[in-house]
Amino acid sequence: MASSKKPVKAAKPAKSKPKVAASRPAKPARRAVAPDIAQADPTLFDPLTPGEIADALRTLTEDRRLSSMAKVGRYRVICTEPLVVKPPHWMAGHRLVRVVVYDYAADRAVEACVDLDAGVVAHLELTRGQPMLSRDEEALAVSIAMVDDRVRAKLTFGDVPQSTLHYWGRTTEDLAYARRSAAVVFGRPDGHASVVAIVDLLENTVTQVVPAEMW
Amino acid sequence: MSNVISEANWKFHWRLTESAGIMIYLADYHGRRVLWEASLPYVTIDHQRETLDVKDDPGEVHGPWWVPLGTRTLQGPVRVQSFRGGVELSAAFAAGPYHYTQLWRFHDDGRLCPWLTIYGPGVHDQHTYHPHWRFDFDLDGARDDAFERFEDSRWQRVGQEGWFPYSGEADEHGNVWRQIDAGTGAAVHIRPHSWDDAEVFAIRYHDGEWAPYSPRNAAGSQTFPSAYVGDEPLDGDDVTLWYVAHVHFDQSFPYTAGPWVKVSGLGN
Repeated sequence: MASSKKPVKAAKPAKSKPKVAASRPAKPARRAVAPDIAQADPTLFDPLTPGEIADALRTLTEDRRLSSMAKVGRYRVICTEPLVVKPPHWMAGHRLVRVVVYDYAADRAVEACVDLDAGVVAHLELTRGQPMLSRDEEALAVSIAMVDDRVRAKLTFGDVPQSTLHYWGRTTEDLAYARRSAAVVFGRPDGHASVVAIVDLLENTVTQVVPAEMW
Repeated sequence: MSNVISEANWKFHWRLTESAGIMIYLADYHGRRVLWEASLPYVTIDHQRETLDVKDDPGEVHGPWWVPLGTRTLQGPVRVQSFRGGVELSAAFAAGPYHYTQLWRFHDDGRLCPWLTIYGPGVHDQHTYHPHWRFDFDLDGARDDAFERFEDSRWQRVGQEGWFPYSGEADEHGNVWRQIDAGTGAAVHIRPHSWDDAEVFAIRYHDGEWAPYSPRNAAGSQTFPSAYVGDEPLDGDDVTLWYVAHVHFDQSFPYTAGPWVKVSGLGN
């Protein structure tokens, strides 16, 4: 995890979830904690199923520590991926999900480890770090840049959005130094870049328009 | 396609991640564990302005940027191919003017090549790529590791976490860093590409400390993996290594960055 030099702590779920025994009878194999890394279960690394992703996100948003985030609803799920811890950690052998969310209302990143076997958020970290952009944020940045007059004035015939990158400023004079931002690169589909537009995702505005050769 | 490959004395698993390219995990050589997992968490890019006059050089005006290498930037399928003396995985990624081919090559003599071929024009010529690899080697078990660097004509034990750039000094095989299992003497040696301007971060392993989903820490804080470096002891513990290359774009592109990794002490 991004800055997780802290012990992983189990947390109580928002609601009582007696689902470990009741609704998941088909997981006994994962309960056998391997004694050492040579016996690690490779299936724990498998991609998450849609149901596992949904389960992890439900568990996270029901956690009372995130109730304000869930209530306001201005957050974006950045990523969900399997997480595997090594023996002898007590969660070794559990099906774990790492969830990264960006909470726009609080302007902070939420990083959580959800234990699907226990139905709890096992670890939660709230930071000012900037995780990568979600696909939704990339699409939003493009749509904001496309309708900006300063951007449109610099585009030439045939220019299209080539890519959207996660950008941060080098100095405090750059608005993107501390604010969640994207760089949208425009150019010909098969050619060089022509224009770079920086989009502030907190205010949904274009903050810089720079010819690509001047970037 | 199966994600378990047993070939060339290696057995390993792989999967495509959301942001860290192809991840290799639970890799064994001659039936003994070498790697818990390894991936390419990010490739950042920063830009310089083109000027020959030092007085007029504004330095790096803009900050870096990056785009995840993963499911959203994958071009075509992940390929598994045998070659003479080994097997390799490769995948192409593209994000606008940035193009990459990630490679994992496994040789039957214990060599492992985590490489990245970089091409594409970029937004202009004056830019530098910084691919970051993360290796969690678990030689014959997770604990009881030691980390050493070649310095002053000999291998020297490193006691605590830190940043260890390539100084130009290497052993007779070109190796600069190595991780050793103290119990069995098995080792992985790391030889940088001579043009990588490489550095290694050696960090004590912590549960759940998988690669972050961004090099970007809070404003004003160090980026990852620098932000991980503290003063924790390494000797006898579980060590994680980050290999970072710094590759300036020039006319000789494409360029393949990444180290040679050689496993020793596990063979028959």
